[in-house]
Amino acid sequence: MVRVSFRVNGEPVEFDVKPSELLINTLREKLGLTSVRYGCGIGECGNCTVLVNGEPVLACLTLTVDVDGCEVLTVEGLSKSELTRVQKAFIEEGAVQCGYCTPAFILMAEYLVRSKPEPSIDDVREYLKGVLCRCTGYVNIFKAVLKASGSGRGRERVDKG
Amino acid sequence: MSQLGFRFLARRTPRKDAEPKVRGLVKYTNDLEYPGMLIGRVVRSPYAFADIKKIDVSEAVRMGAVVITPDDIPQKPFNPRLVSVDEVTFKDTYVLTYKPRYLGEPVAAVAASSEELAQRAAEAIRLEFERVYKPILDPFEAMSPSAPRIHEKIMKGDKWIDVENNIAARLDYEEGDVERGFSEADYVLERGFKTGKRYHMQLEPKAVLCVPEPGGKLTIYTTTQSIHNTRILISQLFNIPESRVNVVKVPIGGSFGSSIQTNYLVPIAVALCLKAGKPVKIAYTREEDMLDHSNFVFHFKIKIGARRDGSFTAAEFTNILDVGAHQVQPYPLLGTSLGWFVSMYKWRNLRYRGIAVYTNKVPGCALRGYGAPEVQWAVETMVDEIAEALGIDPIEIRLKNYVGRGDIFWGQGPTVRSVIKSDGVPELLLKGRELINWDKRGRPEEKKGRYRRGIGVARGFHTSGAGGPISGEVIDYTGCILKLNEDGSLDYLTALQDHGGGTLDAHVKIIAEELGVPPDLINLASASTENTPYDVCTHASRGTFVGGECARRAAQILKQKIFETAVRILGRVVNPEALRIGYDEKLGETVVYVEGSDLKITLREIARTAWQRNWGTLVAAVTYRATSAPPSFTVYYVEVEVDTWTGKIKPVRVVAGADVGTPVNPDMVEGQLHGGFAMAWGMAFSEDTKYDPSTGEIMGRMLITDYKIPTAQDVLPPEEFKVLIANTYEPSGPFGAKGLGEAAMNPAVGAILNAVYNAIGVRFYELPVTPDKVVKALRERGETPW
Amino acid sequence: MVVSEIPPINITARNTRIIPFEYEYYEPRSLKEVLELLDRYGDQARILAGGTDLLVKMKARLVEPRVVINVKKIDGLRYIVEDGEQVRIGALTRLRDVENSELVKKYIPALHDAVKSMGSIQIRNMATIGGNLCNASPAADTAPPLLVHNAKVVLSSVGGDRVLPLAEFFKGPGLTMLKPNELLREIIVEKSIAGSSAFKKVSRVAVDLAIASAAVYVEVEDGFIRNARIALGSVAPKPLRAVKTESLLRGLRIDSREVLNALKTIDEEISPITDVRSTAEYRRYASKVLVLDALEVAYARLKGGVHG
Repeated sequence: MVRVSFRVNGEPVEFDVKPSELLINTLREKLGLTSVRYGCGIGECGNCTVLVNGEPVLACLTLTVDVDGCEVLTVEGLSKSELTRVQKAFIEEGAVQCGYCTPAFILMAEYLVRSKPEPSIDDVREYLKGVLCRCTGYVNIFKAVLKASGSGRGRERVDKG
Repeated sequence: MSQLGFRFLARRTPRKDAEPKVRGLVKYTNDLEYPGMLIGRVVRSPYAFADIKKIDVSEAVRMGAVVITPDDIPQKPFNPRLVSVDEVTFKDTYVLTYKPRYLGEPVAAVAASSEELAQRAAEAIRLEFERVYKPILDPFEAMSPSAPRIHEKIMKGDKWIDVENNIAARLDYEEGDVERGFSEADYVLERGFKTGKRYHMQLEPKAVLCVPEPGGKLTIYTTTQSIHNTRILISQLFNIPESRVNVVKVPIGGSFGSSIQTNYLVPIAVALCLKAGKPVKIAYTREEDMLDHSNFVFHFKIKIGARRDGSFTAAEFTNILDVGAHQVQPYPLLGTSLGWFVSMYKWRNLRYRGIAVYTNKVPGCALRGYGAPEVQWAVETMVDEIAEALGIDPIEIRLKNYVGRGDIFWGQGPTVRSVIKSDGVPELLLKGRELINWDKRGRPEEKKGRYRRGIGVARGFHTSGAGGPISGEVIDYTGCILKLNEDGSLDYLTALQDHGGGTLDAHVKIIAEELGVPPDLINLASASTENTPYDVCTHASRGTFVGGECARRAAQILKQKIFETAVRILGRVVNPEALRIGYDEKLGETVVYVEGSDLKITLREIARTAWQRNWGTLVAAVTYRATSAPPSFTVYYVEVEVDTWTGKIKPVRVVAGADVGTPVNPDMVEGQLHGGFAMAWGMAFSEDTKYDPSTGEIMGRMLITDYKIPTAQDVLPPEEFKVLIANTYEPSGPFGAKGLGEAAMNPAVGAILNAVYNAIGVRFYELPVTPDKVVKALRERGETPW
Repeated sequence: MVVSEIPPINITARNTRIIPFEYEYYEPRSLKEVLELLDRYGDQARILAGGTDLLVKMKARLVEPRVVINVKKIDGLRYIVEDGEQVRIGALTRLRDVENSELVKKYIPALHDAVKSMGSIQIRNMATIGGNLCNASPAADTAPPLLVHNAKVVLSSVGGDRVLPLAEFFKGPGLTMLKPNELLREIIVEKSIAGSSAFKKVSRVAVDLAIASAAVYVEVEDGFIRNARIALGSVAPKPLRAVKTESLLRGLRIDSREVLNALKTIDEEISPITDVRSTAEYRRYASKVLVLDALEVAYARLKGGVHG
C-alpha cells in the first residue's frame, strides 16, 4: 500500500492504495465521481478523461499513485451551482443524447476554450477527436463548443415553416 | 396540415435530462452500488467450438468466491429476445454451458467481494475439454452436409426440433409470377452483396446489479431496452413468479439494438445472487461486451427485372443470414429483410428465400435498422445501376417506383401490414436535388485527377413500431400511467426506455401539448416493471409513435377527468364539453376555462380541491396497441471526395431529409440524422469484426484498437450538414408524429457508395469498403501511379 | 473432427477495467536510482513512462512484470534542447511537448507531423517519445521521422552510456537492443539544415495506428534531389530505412517521372504482412504514395523556407 494525497475538485483527499490501482477506479469507487466513465480501458474511447493540473489525461491509464500532489478535476467539480458556458451550450445545441460520453466532451471543450479562446472548427475537431460518441455524430457537439467559445456563430434553423 | 399553433411541439426545447447529464450526475447501471454487494466475473470458453468434460472450481471456492457452473442453472434452452410470439421463437441458449459454440461463451461465473478477487477466482477455474473442433466461420461451409453440427436439437416454441445442415430458421415467400415478370423485362440485373459483422460500440458496456430482497424477491437494475421482457425471461428461467421480480429502468448509455434481448450477464448475475444470497453486480469490460453482441452478417443475392420505361417487372431476393452461435430471434429478421425489400419499390412479382445459418461467432442481434441499412444499401445500389443502364435519371426512377401514399406497407414483415397515409418522399427528393446541386454532379468518366468528387442519392425508410390491425407474429403494445399530483403537477410512468434519442422528452412534450402543462411540471417518474403496464421494448423506432400516442391518450383521459372535476367546482358550467385547457401566459399557470367567457380556474386549484375535499386522485392508466406502423421516409444526398492514390474517402457535404410527420423536437431530429450518418460512414468504410480462422477469436484481441468507429475528425463540420424536415402529418401518430431513430441511418450507406461510384466509376458489393479495396479496383483500371 | 492443435485463448484472464495482477512497485527520484533498480531486477522489471502502452499490455496480459519502475517523477529527462547541429530530446519528453516545440517544428518537421498524427491530445499528454521507441512497434510513428534525421539513442546503465544509431536499435516487433539493465535516456537528432523533412501516414480513422507510414528527408538543388533519406513504418517487422531507393533518388529531378520509377524499388526493401488493419499488397503500394507525398511536402517546405 502506498499513501497518496491529492486534491479532487478542490477538496484534499488521502488514501492508502495498491500501486496497481487505477485513477478511474479511485475516483469512481472511493469518491463516487461516476462521471469518469469506463468505455474501453485502453485509451481508445476517451470517456474517462479528467484534467490533472489542468491538462487532460485518461484516468484508465493513470495509476492513482501518479497523481500524488496533483489537482484533479472531474465534471462534478466544474460548476457548483451556475453552469459553465460550455455546459449551457451543450444543452442549448442538443449536443447531449445518451449522456455517457458527455462529461469527457465537456472537459475537453473547457480545456479547449481555455487554451484557445477563439478556436476554428479544425481546432474543435482536433481537441475532441479523442472522445468517442456513438449517438450524436458530433455535429451538435461542434456547434455547442463553437457557441461557448469566442468563435460562437449563428445556428441554422431546421424547423419547418 | 399546418403545424402552426403548437405550443411545445415542433420547437426546440432543452431536454429534461440534459442538465444532470452535463453535470455528470446521471447514474448508469455500473455506477450503482449496494451495501454488501459482490462483484461477478464470467468464465469464458477459450475455444470457439468445443465440448467441456469437467469444470474444476475447487481453487476458486477455496479463495472464498461464490461459483456457479452449468450444474447450478436450470438446463432449459431459451432465446434472450422476447419480441416475437412464442410459437416462432427458437431456443438454443443456456445461461452457462458445457458446449460452448463461440469463443468467449460463458461456461461458469464467480462472485467475490472485489473485482480483483473475482478476477483471481475466475482465473483459478480449470476447464477440461472433451473435444475441440475447428471453428466454422462461414455460413456456406456450415451448410455443407459434411460440416459438424453446431446444435443438434433446439426448441421451437415448446417443441424440440432437429437442426439440419446448421440451418437455424428459414422463411420463403412468393407473390405473382416471377418467371413471367422476368420474361417481360427489357433489362435484368443480378448482384451479390456481403456486409461486415458490425459491433454496436454503444459507449456504455452492459452491466447488471441484482439485489435479493426480503421475501424471496429480486430487484434487477440493468442496461436494457425492455424492462418487462427482462422480467419475463428471468421469471421463466428461474421459475420465480413475475410478482417477485422487479426490473428497474436505469438510464442507458446508448444501445442501438444491443439490449432488445436480455444480455447474457443478467441471468448469470441472478444465478450468482440466488446462490450467494447477496447483491451481485457484473459489468462487462469492453472486450466482454464485444463477445456479448454484434450484428448479423448478410449475404444477399438479388435479381431485378425492369422495362425500358424504368418500371420493375420482377425481383428475386436470396438472403443468407450468418446468425453466429445462437439465435437472438433471427427468424423475424428473415421477415423484416423481406419487408424492407418489398416496401422499397413496386416489384410486381417477387420471390424470396431467407435462410438463417449457425456459425461459431458471437451471436448476431439487431443493430439500428434490423437489416434495413443492409437491404437499402443493396437495393439503392442496384436501382442506381438500373437507372444508368436505362438512361433514366436516378431520382426519376425512384419517384416512379417507390412504395408511397396509399400503398400497402409491411416493413416489419409479412404479418405486419398497413396502408401508407403520409409521404414526404417527393418533397425531400426534389428539395434535396436543388440543395446538393444534383444536375451539376457530372459523370464518373469525366472526372480526372487524383482527388475526385462525386454525389450520390439514396432513399429509404423505417417503420414506426411493429403494430398493425391484425395480431401477427410480433408483439407490439405499450402502456403508461399519468396522474395529476395534489399541486397540479404531473407524474408520468412508462416502461419505455430512452436510449439517448430523447424519446421520453417527446412524450413529455406531447402531454404538455395536450394539457397545456409546461414540461418542467411533468415528472418522468422512476419506472420499474412493478409500477408500469407492459411495454414490449424501445426498438423499431416506436418510442415516439407508439409510446407518444399512448401518452397522448392518457393525457386525453386525464383531461376529461380534470374537466369533470372543474365542472363540479365551477358549478355554473353545464358539462365538460364546454371546457378548454391551456397555459395562461399572464397567470403563468395552466387553466381550465370556458371559451368566450372570463370563467376560469387554475389546474393547481382543481388538483388542490380534489385533494382537500377527498375526491380522490385524477389518474389515467392506458394500454395501447398501434394499428399501423407507418414508414418514416428518409432521403440522403451525399458528396464525397476520393483520394484515388491512397483509396481514402472523406465526406464533403450531406443533405439529409427526414419525413417524421410532426417533428416533436427538431434538435433531436437533427441529432438522429447526424448520428445515423456517422454510423453509416463507419458501416461503409471501417466497421467489421474479423475472426481469426484458426481460433475463432475476434482479431485485435477484442480490444477496440481494431474496431474503428468515426471520430470527430472523420465527420462533417456543421455548415456542411444540411437537414431537411418534410412538411407532413401522420394521422395515426400523436399530433401527426412518426419515428426516426433507424430511418435516420438506413439509406445513408447506399447514398455514400453511390457518391463513390459517381466519383470514380467503381461499385463495391462488399462492406466495409477499405482503402485496399478502392486502390485494388483503381489499379486494375490503371488509374494509380503504380 | 477433433483438432487438438487449436491454441486456447484465455480471454477470462483479460480485464481492461483493472490491472488484473499485483507487482512490486518503485518510484525512483533520480536516474541513478532507476539504473540501480534496473541492474537489480533486469528483465523482471518494466519501465512505466507514459503508461499508454505498458498498462494496456498488462491489462491484456501480454506482459506480466514482477516489478514496475515508474520513471515519471525523475527530473531532468524531459527536455528538447539545441546543441549545435543536433537537437537532444530527453526520453521522458511527452509527445505533446514534442508537438508544441518550436525547435522540432523548425528542425525536425517530420517528427512534428508524426506526433500530431498520433492518438488524441489526452494520449499525447501522457505518452513519451522514449516509450514510443522502446515499445518497438513496427507502427511506431516517431520512428520513421527520427530515422530520416539520423537519430541516435543514448542507452544508460550503471556501467555508463552507449550510443547507438536508431536504425540499429530496433530488432523486431516489440524487440530492441536495450539490455535488461539499460534505460533509453536521450535521443540525439540531426537538424535539417540543408534540407527539410515530412511524414505521412494512412490509417482507418483519424485516431489510429498507421496502416503504413513514411518519412522523407530531402535536399534539393535547382530542382534536383541532392540527397534523400526515406524511412517506412508498418511494412516490415521494424521501422526501416529504404537505402536502396534513397540512392536511386539522388540526382533525379524532384518532379520527374523517374522519381516514380525509382520508388518501385521500395518493394524490394520492405516485407509487409496482411493483418486485421490491411493487406500486404495495399501496404506495398501505399508506401510509395506516402513517400511521394512526403517528398512533395518536404520540398514545399524547402521552397517556403521551413528548414534550418
